[in-house]
Formats: sequence, structure tokens, C-alpha cells
Amino acid sequence: MSETSVKPGCPVAGERKVFMTGNEAVCWAALAAGAEIMYGYPITPQNEIMHYWTRNVPKFGRRFLQTEDELSAGFTTIGGVLAGRRAFTATAGPGNVLMQEPLSMAEAMRIPVVVVIQQRGGPSTATVIYSQQEVTLTCFGGNGEGLRIVYSTSSLQDLYDYTIKAFNTAWKYRFPTFVLGDGYQAKMRESLNIYDPAARGIDMVPTEPFVGKPGKIGEGREAAHLRNAYSVEEELEVAMARDTSEYERVTPEIIEYDSYNTEGADIVVIAHGIVFRSAAMAVRELAGQGKKVGYFRPITLRPFPREQLQQAVARAKMLLVAESAYGQLLKLVKENLYGGPCNLPIKTILRPGVGITPEEVTEACNALLDGKGA
Amino acid sequence: MAVEMELQPKMPKCWNLATKPHKFCPGCGHGLILKALGQAIDDLGIQDRVVFGCDIGCSLLAWDFFNMDTVQAHHGRATPVMVGLKRANPELIVIAYMGDGGGYAIGSQHLVNAANRNDKITMILANNTNYAMTGGQMAPTTMPGQKTETTPYGRDVKEDGYPMLGPEMVAAITHEGTYVARGTVSKLLTLKSYLKKALENQISGRGFSFVEVLSTCPTNWRTNAEQTWAFLEQTMQEFFPVGELKVPPEAAAPTAPPGAVEGEGE
Amino acid sequence: MSSAQYPPRVVEAYIGEYASGKSEIAVNRALELVRLGRPVTIVDLDLVEPCYTLRPLKKELEQAGMTVLAWETAELIGLGETGNVLKPSTRFCLLRPGDVIVDIGYGISGARVLNLVENAWEDPDLKIYAVINVARPMTATVDQIVDHVRDIGRVDGLINNSHLGDETGVAIVEEGVRTVAAASRILDIPVVATVVAESLAASFGTNDLYGHPVRVIRRYMPKAFW
Repeated sequence: MSETSVKPGCPVAGERKVFMTGNEAVCWAALAAGAEIMYGYPITPQNEIMHYWTRNVPKFGRRFLQTEDELSAGFTTIGGVLAGRRAFTATAGPGNVLMQEPLSMAEAMRIPVVVVIQQRGGPSTATVIYSQQEVTLTCFGGNGEGLRIVYSTSSLQDLYDYTIKAFNTAWKYRFPTFVLGDGYQAKMRESLNIYDPAARGIDMVPTEPFVGKPGKIGEGREAAHLRNAYSVEEELEVAMARDTSEYERVTPEIIEYDSYNTEGADIVVIAHGIVFRSAAMAVRELAGQGKKVGYFRPITLRPFPREQLQQAVARAKMLLVAESAYGQLLKLVKENLYGGPCNLPIKTILRPGVGITPEEVTEACNALLDGKGA
Repeated sequence: MAVEMELQPKMPKCWNLATKPHKFCPGCGHGLILKALGQAIDDLGIQDRVVFGCDIGCSLLAWDFFNMDTVQAHHGRATPVMVGLKRANPELIVIAYMGDGGGYAIGSQHLVNAANRNDKITMILANNTNYAMTGGQMAPTTMPGQKTETTPYGRDVKEDGYPMLGPEMVAAITHEGTYVARGTVSKLLTLKSYLKKALENQISGRGFSFVEVLSTCPTNWRTNAEQTWAFLEQTMQEFFPVGELKVPPEAAAPTAPPGAVEGEGE
Repeated sequence: MSSAQYPPRVVEAYIGEYASGKSEIAVNRALELVRLGRPVTIVDLDLVEPCYTLRPLKKELEQAGMTVLAWETAELIGLGETGNVLKPSTRFCLLRPGDVIVDIGYGISGARVLNLVENAWEDPDLKIYAVINVARPMTATVDQIVDHVRDIGRVDGLINNSHLGDETGVAIVEEGVRTVAAASRILDIPVVATVVAESLAASFGTNDLYGHPVRVIRRYMPKAFW
């Protein structure tokens, strides 16, 4: 098999501090991770990932295809992965809806695609700006069981770190892997460290082709017959049992979360993504005032850090779930509390498509601490 | 080669013997198309470099038909999967194989845009004038007046439009380097020569290649052998003229042996 | 600085890389001029990212006494995605009396965006300034800056806006001074200013280590949320 023209050496030498937007951070992370080809279709707010990827394509010997729609972007990405490349795409909102068709194929066939989602308002066209309304779609979209890995980022450093990590997670476990950002993170500017993964001791998981391997068929290799269609229920059941048990087996290795001050906290604030930043600022300030408030942040929304959540809220009197959606994180939280302290009162700040400030979280916590309800 | 064709039931070397006899209905055109394709692949000696992509619809049944790398995609999506593969590894020879519904309806945007981008892939589309796997509904290629399960009184062109002329459309929107033809399973040697040219067009890097093949579906047409043949040879060819629509000058040399007898079928 | 040190009519277009600080510098420059009692128009000509940079600040800038030619949120409903939507009045911005500050977005068309503006190439007062931040990977080295500025088209001056957001220290600003100055010599285009945030102003005088004027700016853009 021929090699791509990827130029040797990492586009990011060593490590350095830079100032950029979130979409650029994704692009540089993909370059640093050795991604060889991007397929994409324009949609706001992810466009600058493509803009910066295409600017760098000739410099670092990478490739790009602008497709006719997100269906094609997803399916061509699958084609790129089948060829053994670190291939990725990026989309948002209505594009994420279309992308679910190819992603269900990737899920069925264990094809390690990497997809960056920069959430925008929904449903439908809604706004191009921001939301956290693609949680359910990204975690459970498609006609299947949601055998995917979803990292929810909350900063530009996260976008860089988890984009690199997504390639390794995808190729190690062979489940479609998502970096779930949003329009604010996409367009926001802040400083971050960009680095060659090798400089931090991160080995990139090697890739391999699914088709077109070297050698003659029948002499050292068999033809690959890859399918997602089954004739009978029993055949599907066997395939699903294999994949679901594999997913459950690797879940403990994949889950990531962050928690703070949950020991002895009366209120545990639960938030993910950019809203977590507001939540963390509010909670740290309140804790600094001696108030019994902590936070829990799921970093992997799928698989969800179930036991860790249950432990974090074990002694809490109340939960506060804050999200820029009308209950998508809330649904995950409720589901994952079952079997644990599932009768805890849950208060909410649910603002679909709108940002949540630290002041709002502080105010809600203070109201709850004063017994006034959120 | 004419001799080879007559030596039934000799199968192309690239066929997967373990899955024969194949799964298509008796009288189905897919087996013939895939025979011509298999022979073209054998002639070119490219079995180890081909990735065969099949769609949903009856073409799906070809997922283990060949002893070649095969990817079965979704309905209409064999094209983008093969485009993605080819872009990621241009050394591969990729074939997107589909029916008229996959190519002209649900996947038409992929056909149009792959053609327009001059992607170096080969698309082969079986036109049997109906959605066969789902039980005989109207396809983009259903003939005027033709009855299907969703045109029970016959296709009314005022309501449902005329049959899609795929190769004509592809020929109209493409530029130099493109190979476009319409063959038929009733002329297998010619079909094989078209498929071979379509593959050579990809191998040489000249450009996009597209072959529509008039095919048979006695199961859904509810026709006996004679009626099937008449529908293919007369009714269909009234609307769908067979021949090469676009041949790059470099590819114009005939690949079928001169004097080969045509129309003998299998 | 007294008004006498300014030309009778200030017409400046700020251009540069994505997130290089164009809008921030344009807004600060417009406010500086309006505080001197001059009539000022600020123009959003960002066609790749329209409506996002100046839009959230529009009211505040108008209250400060300037004219803002930028879309308002409510005007945009139904105009599609981010859409490359040119507000008609921006086409004629250079025909307006007084000072005009133009914020040109990033994009491959560079200064050619000014083709859309009536009289741009005939305006004797127009200065096009390229804003450079060496903490951005594609304008980090002298060679990269030279290539970048040549791609833009006509550029009359360079502005060193090297910073790392909240983590900015003197070192990155001074690295910018040296790098942008080296590019300036190759390009034969002057450095017109080094920009520093208020928080660092005390570390710099009125001029940077190479003698370029220092412009102190306040950061308004965080209010735009991105």
C-alpha cells in the first residue's frame, strides 16, 4: 500500500504556548496527532477547522475533500479509515443529524472515525452560535445502542488534548469517537499549550487498513468481506452481544470525570462542557466562603462515569444540574443515579441554546443553601 | 475471449467460489453483470488491488460475491465510501456497485458530485426499472405506464415524471477524462468491454467512469423468460439507448475482439 | 496625546489573521479618536465571520458617540447561516465625514475586501495596517509574517499585537517587537505600533524597545463572548 505524502516530523515542535480560537486548536491537534485526511462540509460554527486544515494541507502533506453534504462527509471519512488513515470530520447541528447515518455504519462495523462536533442551537437550523443540545444525538444518535465514545470539552486546551486523544481512543478500541465542543469554544480565543504528542510521551496508536492490504489474495491474505447487514435476528444478536460486551469491558478504561469538594458537600453541581467552567468558578468561590458546595463534571458523556457520579453525590442533600439544553445532561444524570442515591432532589438550570454565567450558578446555589429552591 | 464466454459454467477467477451459486433470483441480471465485471477484472489482473463497494438493494447480496476486498455500505452510500477510500489511498481500484434507486434517487447527490469532481472511481449501476429488494416499488427508472407496487395504475409521467437518464446526465455534467456508457446484460461482450474501459479509465488516472447496465428482474416484473427478454430488449431500450456516451480519446481503442458475436447472451 | 498630533482625517483599515486582534485594536482606536471629540465611524467589514465581532458591542460603542456600521442581531434573522452578508451602508463608509476605522476580517481575499468599498483605492488618507500576533502558529516566524503580509495585498503598516490573552507577559510582547521588526525590514513596511493591554502598560513606556509607539488597549472583545 502506498503511503500518504505526510511529511516527516510533527507540525508542532516540542511544546509551546499559543493564542488562538477553538476551531484552530482542533486543527492543530489533528495535525499534531498525525491525522492524514479530513473530509468535511461547511457548517457554522465548525468552518475554521476546515479553513485552517486546508491552509496547512500542502505544508504538512495532508489531504482534504470537501464533500457534497454531511452524509458524504461521514461516509468518505469511513472510506478514509478503511484505507488505514487517521481520518476525521467535523460538523454541527443539522449536519450532526445527517452525520448520524454514516456514524451508525461506523458503529456497526467498529470503524474508528473521529468526529468533532461544535454544538449550535437546535432543533432544526436554530442558531449558528451555541448550545449543548447535541448531547443525546451525539451519544445515542443512529438506529443502535450508542456504542460510541464522547468527550465533552470545556476549554481550548481540552479541545487540543482530547482531539489528539480521540484518535488514540478510536484506534485502540475501534468505536467511533467524538470530541463534543460547542460554538463558544469553537470561536473563543484563549491561550493554550500546543505540543507534539511525543514530547509528552504520548504514543499515537498505530493504524491499519481494513481493505487493500499488501499481498495477493489467497497467498498470505484473505479477502475482507465487511458488512453491516444481517439476514437473521440470531446473527445480529451475536454481533451485538460481542460489541456491547466489549464496550462494557473497556468502559472503565475510557471513562473520565472531574470532581471537587464533593466530600461533605450539601449541594453537588453537575455540568459538562463550557457550562462546567461557569459551574467550577461558582463552586470554587462558594467553597472558598466555607459553603458546602462541590461539583461533578463528566468528561466522557458516553460511556458515562456512573459509579464515580454515585460516589460523588453519596452524601449530598441536593443536586443542581446546569446545562444549555432542556434536560439532556439531566437525563444522563438521572439514568446513572439509578441504583445509587436516586431519590436525591435535583434542581436545574436548563437554558437551551443560551450560555450560563458563574453568577447564575452562584445565585442558584445560594438560593438552595438558603432553602429557597432554585 | 469469445471462447471463454461460451465455456460455461467457467467462473471468473476473482469470484468467491465458496458463495456460489449466488443469492440472486433466477433470471436476475446481477449475476450477468458481475460475471462480465469479474472477467474484466481477471483480464486486467487487478483482483488484489480492487475494493468492491456494494450498496443496499439487491446489490447488497454481492457482499461476499467476489474473492476481493468488499465493503457493503448503506443505501446510496457505496459511492461516498469508495470516494473516501480512493482519496485516502489512490493506489486502490475502487468500484461502487448499486441499483437505480441507490444511484439515481437516495444517492443521486453522490453520483452528481463524484462525477463533477471527476473522482477517479468506477461506478456501475444496474437499471432494472424498479426497487426490487423492497418488493417492486417505482424507481427513478420506471418506464411510463409501467405498473409497480407504488404506481398501481402505471407510472403517470404527469404525476411521477419520466425515467431518469443517468448516463446522459453524467455525460452532460462531466469534462475530459470521463468514461460514460450504458450497456445491457443482453450483450455481455460489449458490456465487458465497457466495464474494462471504465476500470482502465480509473487505473490510468484519467477520471471518473460510469456504466449503467440494463438489467433484468423477472421476479418483480412477473415475467417468463421470453417476456423478460422482450422487456429488456425492446421496451427498455426504447427509453434507454445502449452505447458509449463519452470516451476519452486515449481510451477509444476497442477492447472487444473484432468480429466477436454479440447478442448471444449466456 | 492632543488632537493636533493626528492627521485631519484618520482612515485606517485593520486586517490580519483570524483572532489576531483586529477588532480589539479597531475598537480601541475608534474610542481613542472619539474621546478627542472627533466624528468617528467604525465599520465591520468582516465577511468570513460577519456579525460576531462588533455586533455585541454595538450599543456600547454608539453610546460612546461614534457611528457603528455593523449588523444588529434582529436584522439578521432569516439571512441565513453566518452568510457573507454585506451591510449596504458599509460600501459607502469612506464617503462619510470624519474619521473612519474599518475592521476587516480574516480570509483568503486579504485586502481585496476593500474592492467592495466605494473609493477605497482612491482615498488619499486610507492606511491599511496588518495586525500580527507571534503567539499564533501561522505568524510566529519572520518568514511566516513576510509570506502572510505579502498575501494580504497592499499593506501600509504593521502592528505588533503579540500576546497570550490573560497569560500575556512582557516576554511575548518583546518577542513580537523583534520578530515583527525583522519582517518589517524585509517587507520595507514600517511598524506603526506595538499594542499592549492596560495591565502591562506600566512595563512599557510610550515606545517599545525598538522605538515604535506603544498603544495601550483595553480588552472589549471578551464581552462578545468569543
